[in-house]
Amino acid sequence: MIKRSFFGLVKPKLQYEIIDEAPAEPISISASKQILLLIDQFPDSAGNDLFKTGDEVRRGQKIAMADDAPAYLLSSQSGQISKISEFVGMLGKKYMAVTIDVKPDAKRDVKSDAVRAVDESFKKACQAPSLDNAAKYLAGLPGKPDFSVFSDPEKPVKAIVVCGVDNDLLTTTNQYVVKNNIIAIKTGIDLICKISGISHAIMVVPQHLEQVAGSSGAIVKTVDSEYPSAHPELIVQHILASDDGKSMSESGIAFFSAEAVSAIGAAYNTGIPPLEKIVTVITKDGNKRLVSAPIGTPLQDILSEFNETLNEGDRVVFGGPMTGTSVFSTDYPVLPDTDTIIIQDKSQITERDDIACINCGECVRVCPANIQINQLIRFLEAGQYEEAADQWDLFSCIECGFCSYVCESRIPIFQHIKLAKHTLESMKAAEEINA
Amino acid sequence: MHSTLKLTVSHAPFWHNGSSISSKSRNILLAGLLAVIPGCLQYGIAAVGVVTLSIASAIIWELVINFISRRPVSVGDGNAALIGMMFAMMLPATTPWWAVVTGTFFAVVIGKEIFGGIGANPFNPAVLAMTIVMVSWGYLFDFNAALLNYQFDFNAVYPLVLSKSFGASAVDSFALTDLLMGKQIGGIGSTFGIGLILGGVYLMLRGYIRWEISISFLAGVFAAAMGFNFFNPELYAGPGFHLLTGYTLIGAFFLATEDSSSPVNFIPMLAYGLLGGVLTVLIRNTGVHIDGVLYAILIINLVNPIIDKIRPKALGKGV
Ligand code: SF4
Ligand code: SF4
Repeated sequence: MIKRSFFGLVKPKLQYEIIDEAPAEPISISASKQILLLIDQFPDSAGNDLFKTGDEVRRGQKIAMADDAPAYLLSSQSGQISKISEFVGMLGKKYMAVTIDVKPDAKRDVKSDAVRAVDESFKKACQAPSLDNAAKYLAGLPGKPDFSVFSDPEKPVKAIVVCGVDNDLLTTTNQYVVKNNIIAIKTGIDLICKISGISHAIMVVPQHLEQVAGSSGAIVKTVDSEYPSAHPELIVQHILASDDGKSMSESGIAFFSAEAVSAIGAAYNTGIPPLEKIVTVITKDGNKRLVSAPIGTPLQDILSEFNETLNEGDRVVFGGPMTGTSVFSTDYPVLPDTDTIIIQDKSQITERDDIACINCGECVRVCPANIQINQLIRFLEAGQYEEAADQWDLFSCIECGFCSYVCESRIPIFQHIKLAKHTLESMKAAEEINA
Repeated sequence: MHSTLKLTVSHAPFWHNGSSISSKSRNILLAGLLAVIPGCLQYGIAAVGVVTLSIASAIIWELVINFISRRPVSVGDGNAALIGMMFAMMLPATTPWWAVVTGTFFAVVIGKEIFGGIGANPFNPAVLAMTIVMVSWGYLFDFNAALLNYQFDFNAVYPLVLSKSFGASAVDSFALTDLLMGKQIGGIGSTFGIGLILGGVYLMLRGYIRWEISISFLAGVFAAAMGFNFFNPELYAGPGFHLLTGYTLIGAFFLATEDSSSPVNFIPMLAYGLLGGVLTVLIRNTGVHIDGVLYAILIINLVNPIIDKIRPKALGKGV
């Protein structure tokens, strides 16, 4: 954990992780017995009639609530569905949790099994790649590519931005892919440009990868290594706005992570969607290692690979230290957007507090969105969310978590912000339904 | 997904830089000691008594309020102790015990707790209390009379009184280096200039006080005193004198920088400090009061919410 520096005259800085010259190969981990897939549930997609317990699934097969559901995952293993249940995540978000028992023989020979078993319909789609079949088959790839931006009629997409930067501290997944797989990224970029008809592709990388990124064929932009400058919203504001002016931030931009782009390229080229996710794992002793694990691999398997034992009160974070989510069970799986897993010992956890804001101003100094958090937090703590949104710029927040990191009163500011936004949004949604 | 192992689940971020209110209070208390200890050496055991009584009674008042309002005990954050020490630093060593205890009551209870506790006070609690006791029992804080029984090897007249009554020429006898070394009478922790400056610089470097406020406060005092001195050097003392006498240094480093009653944005901090500095000299030179620091700080505390409205636009708003 990065502590407050001794000198506090200038505003605190947090640096993104920079991958060193020759990154070690990721450690391959396979799911030992089961994989678990968490699939977004939408209010109108309740009830699942496509799958039931006992069904056989093949590697690469799409697991969805309904045939045309926008959210789905691809099973990374062949096996048999052993359980379907509901899982409730942050702020009451619901998921369908599908447990798949990995078939023993599938484990032994993943490669040939995969080739044999992959969904024939996707193979057919590979003949004629299009946005439609990308959205239909590839949204479950590692890196979680989001094709829905292309279908927003209000905001026609003008540019494709490939993020070779990682969106949180400690994470090195995207940098690793840029360093090792630039050819695949190039293939992916070409493909996305072709199927979307958009030729304006930009690749955003940390400074030290500028050279490497050059061979992707896209326009290369760099961001500095200070958190949170690699945040998509800030990339739009600071990096893209500078040459295209305002028009850029107002039109649609399709963001893809470097990992997703290389996976899209590989999927279309080979007909087999890659389903191994590259994850940066940080163990209790602070060591960082890259891991390649099939999507759905439960935390337990990763822990045993590193001989980590969890004790009462420890914390496991999926995602980076600033924006991740802590999980409550060792069954929790690697998902397409799990870039980082942090295992924290109980002693490394700083307790939050319920002291009022002392107006020290640290948060205001670090906020990239220029929000007056010292005022905002007073309204949030009082539950006056509307005032917070109208007068104190609640919705300008880009959710970087920096304010909570520096707060001297140790107020969980970020949590208050998330809760306020969620409450207002669900109120708005309810009004729309009633209207 | 059930298991017997209970993991800690909480909201992001999962890191914290380790700062806390208590470490901040601790550091400010330590920095303050740089001025308090020399003060105690100068005024002897009486000063020690005033300081310890002030800190102790401030903590007790806060405990009492915690108890009455059935809120969790909050003295652990060190803020009450800090208020007590700030208050004592301004007092003459001869202050009677009842004035100290009443003063900390005003500071902690009226100045802070009735506004809602830490972070909610619109005025610096210690300054507010000091002003109240000064207005109520002015004779206690006439430094010349109060410290009459002490024998000093320097001119034992409160410098600001001299300059006020007899003009700038009367204070020529004070060499600036003597003032800096605390060879002047005044509050227990307000006269040892070197200690205050060292403490202030330490706090600024470590980020426990906002340097913008301290520096601009001093700049305000300097500029205003310079202006007065320029137009009438006979009547008005120079900037060096104003910077090193009265409560200027303690005001700039310890009082104006109190978190809750000061702004947090860059330009407002500069404006706030500058205004405080200028007002200080204005009150000293043209007002009826001997020292202007306390009133100046109360006034800038008052306008703080308005000044702090000058702020950068939030992301995505009115670009
Ligand atoms: S999370 Fe905090 S620091 Fe980050 S943008 Fe939002 S308010 Fe600002
Ligand atoms: S960092 Fe925390 S205590 Fe300081 S002003 Fe911000 S919210 Fe208040």
